[in-house]
Amino acid sequence: MSDVNTYTRAGPVRFWPALLSLVPWLTAAVFLLPVVVGLVGTWLPAFGYFPALGSDTLSLSAWQQWFSYPGVASATLNTLISGLGAAMLSLSLLLLILIGLYPSALFRRIERALSPILSVPHAAFAIGLGFLIAPSGWLIRLINGLTGAFESPPLWVSFQDSHGFSLALTLALKELPFLLFMSLAVLPSLKVQKTLWLMRSMSFSKRAAWFWILWPQLYRQIKLPFFAVIAYSLTVVDIALIAGPTTPPTMAVLITQLFNDPDLSRRMVGAAGATALFFGLISVLLLAHLSERPLATLRNYVLRCGRKQKRHLEPERPIAAILVSAVGLFYLLGAGVTVLWSFSHRWRYPDWLPESFALRSWSRVTARIDDPFWITLLLATSASLIAIVLVILALENEVRLKQQNRPVNTRRLLWLLYLPLLIPQVAFIFGFQVSLIGLRWDGTFPALLWSHLVFVLPYVFLTLSGPYRRFDERYAWVARTLASGPLSAYWRVKFPMLMRAILYAFATGFSVSIAQYLPTLFVGAGKYATLTTEAVAMATGSDRRMMAVMALWQQLLPLLIFALATLIPAYYFRNRREMKQS
Amino acid sequence: MFKRILLSTAVLLSTTTAPIWADDWSNTVAEAKGQTVYFHAWGGDENINDYIQWAINRVEEDYGVSVQHVKNVAPNAVNQILSEKTAGNDSDGAVDLMWVNGENFANMKSNGLLYGAFTQMLPNYDLVDTENKPTTLYDFTTPVDNLEAPWGMAQLVFMHDSEVVDNPPSSAEELLQFAKNNPGRFTYPAPPAFHGTTFVKQVLLELTDNNDALYKPVGLADFDAITEPLWEYLDELHPIMWRKGEVFTDGAPRMKQLLNDGEILISLSFNPFEASNSIANGELPESVRTHIHDSGTIANTHFVAIPYNSGSPEGAMVFANFLMSPEAQARKANTDIWGDPTVLAMNKLSSADRALFDRLPEGIATLSNEELANVLLEPHASWVEAIEKAWLERYSQ
Repeated sequence: MSDVNTYTRAGPVRFWPALLSLVPWLTAAVFLLPVVVGLVGTWLPAFGYFPALGSDTLSLSAWQQWFSYPGVASATLNTLISGLGAAMLSLSLLLLILIGLYPSALFRRIERALSPILSVPHAAFAIGLGFLIAPSGWLIRLINGLTGAFESPPLWVSFQDSHGFSLALTLALKELPFLLFMSLAVLPSLKVQKTLWLMRSMSFSKRAAWFWILWPQLYRQIKLPFFAVIAYSLTVVDIALIAGPTTPPTMAVLITQLFNDPDLSRRMVGAAGATALFFGLISVLLLAHLSERPLATLRNYVLRCGRKQKRHLEPERPIAAILVSAVGLFYLLGAGVTVLWSFSHRWRYPDWLPESFALRSWSRVTARIDDPFWITLLLATSASLIAIVLVILALENEVRLKQQNRPVNTRRLLWLLYLPLLIPQVAFIFGFQVSLIGLRWDGTFPALLWSHLVFVLPYVFLTLSGPYRRFDERYAWVARTLASGPLSAYWRVKFPMLMRAILYAFATGFSVSIAQYLPTLFVGAGKYATLTTEAVAMATGSDRRMMAVMALWQQLLPLLIFALATLIPAYYFRNRREMKQS
Repeated sequence: MFKRILLSTAVLLSTTTAPIWADDWSNTVAEAKGQTVYFHAWGGDENINDYIQWAINRVEEDYGVSVQHVKNVAPNAVNQILSEKTAGNDSDGAVDLMWVNGENFANMKSNGLLYGAFTQMLPNYDLVDTENKPTTLYDFTTPVDNLEAPWGMAQLVFMHDSEVVDNPPSSAEELLQFAKNNPGRFTYPAPPAFHGTTFVKQVLLELTDNNDALYKPVGLADFDAITEPLWEYLDELHPIMWRKGEVFTDGAPRMKQLLNDGEILISLSFNPFEASNSIANGELPESVRTHIHDSGTIANTHFVAIPYNSGSPEGAMVFANFLMSPEAQARKANTDIWGDPTVLAMNKLSSADRALFDRLPEGIATLSNEELANVLLEPHASWVEAIEKAWLERYSQ
């Protein structure tokens, strides 16, 4: 009898820990493999090994050509201005908004507006912004309509300047909502209100409290998303093509041009450039990481000096309110303009509304969209589902280790998961493709799914790990004493309590999958058309009406999923006041 | 059991209906049946996409070949083939047919990425006007050698809004004067974007009076001396261009948007019918017209080619052959559908087929055939790279 008892107890108990402890390792291995293989596959051509072009001896000539390529120095400068400018700008704006508006009613409104803003495709946002502020843009047309000024577009450079300032602005406006979104998960744990009260009683201003006390804590928790923002801003191609400089462009665009050059040997120069960009990015991130300690020392020094700050005006609040409204307005007008374009027939300067309207663009796209639509839906759903399961298992393993009082050494391992976010896509996607072709796996759905997971998984981890790690395990213990088993306890208590976070992570992964272009094209060998490949194809043409329709289609699915992620918990908890969103 | 009988009857039928005197082509057609062909072609123009879809449906009906349009630009398709060659997939690549010409073709040819001579086997190739359209045989001066099938004709034309521009410039010199009179209202795409390179070559040809040296390898010529007038010209032009010549567009599609936005007054295109077509579909105002320079403008041909490792070359050939058929070419030349000039010779067609072309609408903004007959040949392919490099060194630092 006792034998049976131990068997039934030990069975699941032994099976689950074994599985759980394997998950982080397996996950890391499966998702690091493409990156490592891809990097090697790019480094080889960079050092002259490209047998398909008859080059099979190692040499530095690709590197020499890269460094002597016309405009590389300026391209590097443009990249730094736009990339670092965007990262610093978005971070500063985040701080400004938090000082000015957290916590407040307006901030809660921002929270609610975030999901639709996050679901705007990057390229669509850049095109929309360009159409607002360009010299022939909507704002100028509006002025023309009201005052008659600007009969022809002014000769200003209000968009796409030659140094990358407008690119930095565009990227910053697109990254700010992401950083805000990532901060939302962390803010409750910072005890902001209590800190502010305490600091005020010591006659510190709100600004000082945020800047010296709260901000460093917040930064530590959103450091990874911020690093992803740096990496993205320095390596982005699509937005840089729309809003960036041209002669020379940014490094990532220049590399793409080299990879697309009819002269096939330029691909080796492009590979050298991609490798240079990779190491440049790593150095920037390392520098950012290493400057943390000196900055902390500086902070402690300043705080110890303890010079009491005088009570002064708090201009942050109105500035942040204006800023937030302006950003919101940009998004709103950008979306409005996109919708207008999608229904327009003829629309030229200086009309601020289309001269004639038509449904033709919608009907043309709708007639052909079904296959890409279903592939996109299938791909994004399966990728984010798999990612959610893997991330939950990895996080449950952490919980298990913590309960056994063992150091959570997998945290460092899981750091590696973020590698795909910190490496320029151009630097490894071709190498990954070559290995898949070698295995004859290219152009298959599982391979395509895998390539999407490489990017979906880190974002899901990024979104879910914060709330998950903050979950009070005592709820789970209580549940386990009341429920029939750990699984049932999980389903009936922990999962519902974390449902909102899980659904948001799912929606984030979903939109990341939808945004993938290069992996879909290269790993899918062109055999899987998605909403994004169709939208990008359309964006290489001149027809803004079709581009607008495609951009709206591309946005539709993430918007729906984000809406569901908000509505499902609201419905589920309609009778649970304490579970409603703060 | 019943299924098996049916199947064997079908096999029997299909073998008996095939004529014993079947020539190579009907073998190819038989081989092609049931194949799936991935056709990699730029997908930025919905009119072209619609046209390709129509051709796909026709070939499915008539030949049982299933063609998939992969909306992909030529360089990406070349990258796919290169990756496959690197990984050793030499027999069943992902690209079966691709839309290509010029430098991409020349480089694929010299790197052995093409299937081999095949157009001589296609029945409709006999209808191509190789005599009067030399660019169907020499793609940017590179001998085609039957490695790619001619699909359409292209010629550099300019577009202007006749409401704003009364007398469009008729030469490079006049264009410079025009830019001076209208500062900030002209631009061209930055090389190596091919519309930009073509514009620069056009200016070079005009300023050097078609110097013979341009049609021989660049290594044989005094590059600096020959191109000197070009750089003088561009040095003068750039500061008075759109955005002071500090920012360029990335191609003709963006130029067309800027023309519609009134930011520039002259745009360019490789398709003589584009203005008419864009007016019809609402992309450009009705007052837009086409013009070319008196010296003539650069003309060339665009093609479809089969990569060396296509797994369905027969299907690709059947599709390429259909694209050259009088029916498909006449539909393509219709400005209401696409408006891409034909590669066929009218005198080689039956009168019924010729009538298909006679019935085509002219298009409000299209130049007459006589005006368009003024054609310049592309300089030797080696000049392209030399010019692009020199351009980048001067203007992209």
